[in-house]
Amino acid sequence: MNILVLVKQVPDPEALIEIAASGKDLNVEPKFAVNLFDEFALEEALRIREKHGGTVKAISLGGPKAIEALRTAIAMGADEAVLIEDEAFAAGDGYNTALALSRVLKKETFDIVLTGRQAIDADRGEVPQMVAQFLGLPHVGVVVKLDISDGKAVAESSLEGAKEIVEVALPAVFTAQKGLNEPRVPLITGVMKAMKVQIPRIAVEDLGLTKDMAAPENSKTRIVRYLPPKKRPAVQIIPGEAREAAAEAVRILIDVERVI
Amino acid sequence: MDKVLVFVETKGDEPRKASLELLCEAEKLAASGRFSVEAVCFGTMSDALREKLLASARKLIRFNDPELAVYSPEGYARALAGYAAETGARMIVAGATGTGRDFLPRVAIMLGTGMVSDVTGANWFDEPMTFVRPMFGGKVFAEVAFPASPVVVTARPNSFAMDIPEGIKGEYEERTAGSLAGAIHTRVVRVEETKGDAVDLTEADLIVAGGRGLKATENFKLVEELAAAIGGTVGATRSVVDAKWRDQADQIGKSGKTVSPKLYIGAGISGAIHHIMGMDTSKVVLAVNRDPNAIIFNYANYGIVGDLFEVLPAMTEEIRKRKERG
Repeated sequence: MNILVLVKQVPDPEALIEIAASGKDLNVEPKFAVNLFDEFALEEALRIREKHGGTVKAISLGGPKAIEALRTAIAMGADEAVLIEDEAFAAGDGYNTALALSRVLKKETFDIVLTGRQAIDADRGEVPQMVAQFLGLPHVGVVVKLDISDGKAVAESSLEGAKEIVEVALPAVFTAQKGLNEPRVPLITGVMKAMKVQIPRIAVEDLGLTKDMAAPENSKTRIVRYLPPKKRPAVQIIPGEAREAAAEAVRILIDVERVI
Repeated sequence: MDKVLVFVETKGDEPRKASLELLCEAEKLAASGRFSVEAVCFGTMSDALREKLLASARKLIRFNDPELAVYSPEGYARALAGYAAETGARMIVAGATGTGRDFLPRVAIMLGTGMVSDVTGANWFDEPMTFVRPMFGGKVFAEVAFPASPVVVTARPNSFAMDIPEGIKGEYEERTAGSLAGAIHTRVVRVEETKGDAVDLTEADLIVAGGRGLKATENFKLVEELAAAIGGTVGATRSVVDAKWRDQADQIGKSGKTVSPKLYIGAGISGAIHHIMGMDTSKVVLAVNRDPNAIIFNYANYGIVGDLFEVLPAMTEEIRKRKERG
C-alpha cells in the first residue's frame, strides 16, 4: 500500500490571532502545530502500513516553516516527506491549494490519499474533495473507521445524525474525522530521525504552475478584508437564589428575547 | 437574468432547514428581478414534500435518476454541475451541511471555478459578489470576493432568516441527468441512523449543552429534561465526550460541531476556547456555572452564578408551568 498523507501546518489552536493593517492582514502568534485532523490521517496511514505493508509519504504545501509539520510526520513514522514550498499558493484559495496538491499527486503512484476533514485555520473543508475531483478519484469524507482489503476500502463516514458505511475501490481519497483513532506521540528515535532527514522541496514551477496564478487578483476567490467576530454585549448576571434566578431567566428568554 | 440554483436537501417528507433558509434568501433575489431561481432536488419525492417545496420555490427541478436515490459525492456533483453548465447558471448555493460541504467542492472543480464554504453572510448584489465566513473557529471572519463565475457557495445553517414567502406556487419539472452509473465509484453498503428524528445540532434553533460540571453521565438527564421542555437538542463539551458520558455526535467545538442556534444554554461549562469556537455565533447565550469567574460568562448574554443541579430543574419546571398557562 502506498499511502500519501496531505498535511498542513496551522497556527496552534490557542494562538492569538489579531486583525492588523485595518483589516488587510492578520497577526498570528508564531506557535504552530500539525492540523489536528491531519494527525488522525497520519495515524491511520501508519496503522494501514503496519497491517498491509507499504510506504507512507507526507506532503505539505506551505512556506519554509511548514517543514516542521513534515518533521512531525516523519517523527510519527512516515517514511518520506515532500514540501511544495510557495508562500503565495499556501496563502491562496481552496482552488489553488487543491490545484498545486493535485499536480504533486499526479507524479506519484499511490493507493490511498488520507488527509484531515478540514484545516483548523481557514476552516474551508474544500481542498480534499477538490483534489479528488482534479484527479478524477472518488472520495469518502469525514471518516471515523477505515478497513482496507483486496484493493478496496470500507469506510464509515459520519454524516449528520447517521453513519454511512461506504465501499470504494482504490485508489481513493479519505478525509479523517475525530474518532478515527488516537494519534501516537512520536518516540524519541523518531524525533532524532526527523531532525536529521533531508526533506525535498518542490517549487510550483516544477508542477507547471506559476506564482502569479496564486496572486489575489488572479484567484477565483480572494479575501478582501478580515473582520472581528460580532461582540456580544457584557454579560448580564441574573441575581437571586437558584429558583428565583431560574424563573427570571425563563421570563427573559420567553418575554424579552422571545427565543422559546 | 442570472440563474441561481439552490440545491435542496430533504429528509423524509421535509426539506432540511438549511435548504429552506436558502430558498427564502433566494426568493429575495428572485423578487429583485435580477436573478431567476430554481430549486434542485435529487432522489425520491413524496407529494407532500413537493407541495411544501413548491410553496417556497418558483421552480423546482427533480432529477429522477435511480443512481441519485442514495447520496454519492460523485453522482450528486455530476448531476448538479452538469445542470449548472447546461443552463449557464451564475450561482450554485447549498446549505453547509455534511452533504453540502462534502460534494459542492467537486461541483466547483467540475465547473472550473472556486467556492466559498460555510458563509454566514452574503452581499449578492455586489460586483463581484462578496461573502462573509468564519476562520480560525470564528476567532476572525473574512470577507471574500468571488470574481470567478459561476459562484459556488455553501451557507452555514441558521445564518439566513427563514422568511417563508407567501403566495408562491412554483412549477415542477422532472429531469434525468443520465450516464451517472459509470461516474459513481462509491457504494453505500448501509446507513446506521444514530440520532433518530432529533434535529441535528448544526441546524437546531435551541440547544442545551452540558460540561464537566454535570459530574456524571446520568446527570445529563437534567440537560435532557430542559432540552425536552423547550424542544431543543442536547450538546456536550469535548471533555464530556472524551469521558464517554456523551456520544461524539453531541460534541460542540473545534473538533466537534459548529452550531448557531437562536438560544444556547450552557450548564457546567467552563468555556475552553475549543468549545467557544463551536458556539460563538449563537444568537442568545445563557450560561449557568457555580464559578463567577468561568470564562463562558465572557461569551454569554445572560449568566446565572449558581448550582446547575438546582437551576436546571427549576428552569425546566418554570418552562413547563409557562407552557401550561399557554
